[in-house]
Amino acid sequence: MSGLLIAFAIVVLIPLFVATWRTSLLGLALQGALIAWLSLRDESTVTLDVALIAVDVIGLRTVAAPLLLYQVMRRRNAPPRNDVIAPNLFSWAIALGLVVVAFRAADVLVPIEGDDQMLVAVAAASFVLGLFVLAASRATFSQIIGVLRIENAIALFELGAPGEHGSAGLYAAMSGVLLVSVLFFRWYLVHVTSEGDDEPATESAVL
Amino acid sequence: MNLVYLSFAPLLLAPGIGSRAARPVAPLVLLAASAAQAAAALAVAFTVTTGTSLAGGYLTTDATARLFLVVINLVFLGIAGYVWNRARTTPELADQVSRFARLSLVFMGAANFVILSNHLLAGWIALEITTLAATPLVVRTGVPSSRHAAWRYLLFSSVGLAIAFVGLVCLGRSMATTGAPPTFFLDELRSAPTDAPNMWRRLGLALVVLGYGTKLGLAPMYSWLPETYDEAPPSTTALLAAVQFNCTLVCLLRVLQVYRAGDRDLVATELLAIGLVSMAVSTVSIIATNNYKRLIAYASINHAGVIAIGLAIGKSASYGVVLYVVSNAFIKAILFLTAGKIKAHYGTKDTREVSGLISDLPYSGLFLMVGTFALLGFPPFGSFLGELIILSGLVRADQILVFVIFCSLVSLSFVATGRTVFPMIWGAPKKKVHWPRQSFLSVTPKLAFLVALVAMGIYMPAPINALFRAVAASLGAG
Repeated sequence: MSGLLIAFAIVVLIPLFVATWRTSLLGLALQGALIAWLSLRDESTVTLDVALIAVDVIGLRTVAAPLLLYQVMRRRNAPPRNDVIAPNLFSWAIALGLVVVAFRAADVLVPIEGDDQMLVAVAAASFVLGLFVLAASRATFSQIIGVLRIENAIALFELGAPGEHGSAGLYAAMSGVLLVSVLFFRWYLVHVTSEGDDEPATESAVL
Repeated sequence: MNLVYLSFAPLLLAPGIGSRAARPVAPLVLLAASAAQAAAALAVAFTVTTGTSLAGGYLTTDATARLFLVVINLVFLGIAGYVWNRARTTPELADQVSRFARLSLVFMGAANFVILSNHLLAGWIALEITTLAATPLVVRTGVPSSRHAAWRYLLFSSVGLAIAFVGLVCLGRSMATTGAPPTFFLDELRSAPTDAPNMWRRLGLALVVLGYGTKLGLAPMYSWLPETYDEAPPSTTALLAAVQFNCTLVCLLRVLQVYRAGDRDLVATELLAIGLVSMAVSTVSIIATNNYKRLIAYASINHAGVIAIGLAIGKSASYGVVLYVVSNAFIKAILFLTAGKIKAHYGTKDTREVSGLISDLPYSGLFLMVGTFALLGFPPFGSFLGELIILSGLVRADQILVFVIFCSLVSLSFVATGRTVFPMIWGAPKKKVHWPRQSFLSVTPKLAFLVALVAMGIYMPAPINALFRAVAASLGAG
């Protein structure tokens, strides 16, 4: 498990330094694939719960979400470069500092060394880096990447956590909410642009 | 069939109302559906006396659910009345009304589920659905800045709810570490033995407060709120400020009711801190703004701060918190709907451009005046009594420094609000505008809210008071 978690941490970190939108989307897809691997590797039979997890992490997080955003960026002929955090030493130092803080926090929360401690550390690092991306970027695309990074961190944390994950119905509802959110993100990626700010308001009556 | 299930009927009506054929009757269907829901909510509130568990344990009708079910459905009835009247007097709004009817019915179905939910995760999902249903409603066709506001609303809501969700998972882990079977059902959590709070519980509660606090417009992540409330159409703003605010608050109350039962001091410092910071930033913003919709939005942040402080104190302040929360739902509905009327009349949101409302738009002037008095915590409104009880709770809890800061900030926002709003009401009219008479029917919803506000400050019928007391008791009132 530790190897997969280290791979997840690498996939979370690299798109921060390789600043292209394609890398960001590939990073999201790989995060989804690794969550799928982590959560489904011990499942020998296909139950409804397993099927729903597969649909969520493979269908939605690995394929659909990155693909839907890719289509928009491709159609817009977006320039390859896209910095999700400012490209300077200060930002990179903050990002690495957040990773260290997340690992220290995991030491406190899970005192016994092992897979669980590693899972908490990687999920926490991924979560705070998602928040950092959100705080550091003004572009709609980067903000969407930040939110989806956070969603993936939560999925990693939740699927690795012991205990009740809720019924199949709850799980399906959560996946549905994520799907609708991604569709909204796509809509906003198309419609909320800096050029749009210059459009004059043409509204007449307001409800 | 149990009347509770009627709360989800809007979800069934929503697809039908969106069709082109149904467009002319959309306002009427919305009004009828909201009236039926409000009637069902009242029946549930005053016929069910115990916390019945329904739908396989996923729904409950405890005091919190019953009280807030009535509040949000009455507010929605008022909003539906406003929309119906706007559709009647402004035919060019037909498309907007149809869209509002469809999405607000989805919103209300999910909102009712949030209130009735007996499961922390199920409630969280329903709250997400209210957000997704409300996001398109923030967008005004042909106004790019409203798209930005909707995007910020969606972004902050997504992040806030994500943080709250991590908090819930941490709370699940806190149970696992003590050996108890993890559950998110409220009744099972209430009956579980209380154990000493561990790191996971402390972290989980702090994240839940931060996450739901973001949805409530509490500092530090409040910046979406003024922009969204300002840009959204008044009907949507009222829906967000008076209905979704209470749904989010119920989600927070549920967590606090369960996890603070054994230790009332848990997250008290966090709640006090974000409460005071929210009051401070909103007061500065109230002083600086010249936009009356934003002013009411900043006042909402201020009120969220007061509620957070009341929750931090708990005990004797709890009754005041409940009173304050319910009063605020009606105050915000009155003020935002009135602001919509004023904007439609003057075509501006600049306070300096509006003057002499009381003679120009008598009903709107009157509601802005009374709503502002209630907003500022004047007697005889419920907000006055609620604020007074919270203040006395601060003194009893020996939080004298917080008391002093609280009073100073309230006084400052009082002066700033009065300085801005009162000239709008009583100043000399700047221009004579011909305006069709406002019918009494159009002001009926706001009048009903006003009656409820005054009743909460003067005399509360015993069954309603019992409901308030039961909710306060669940928050730690003696």
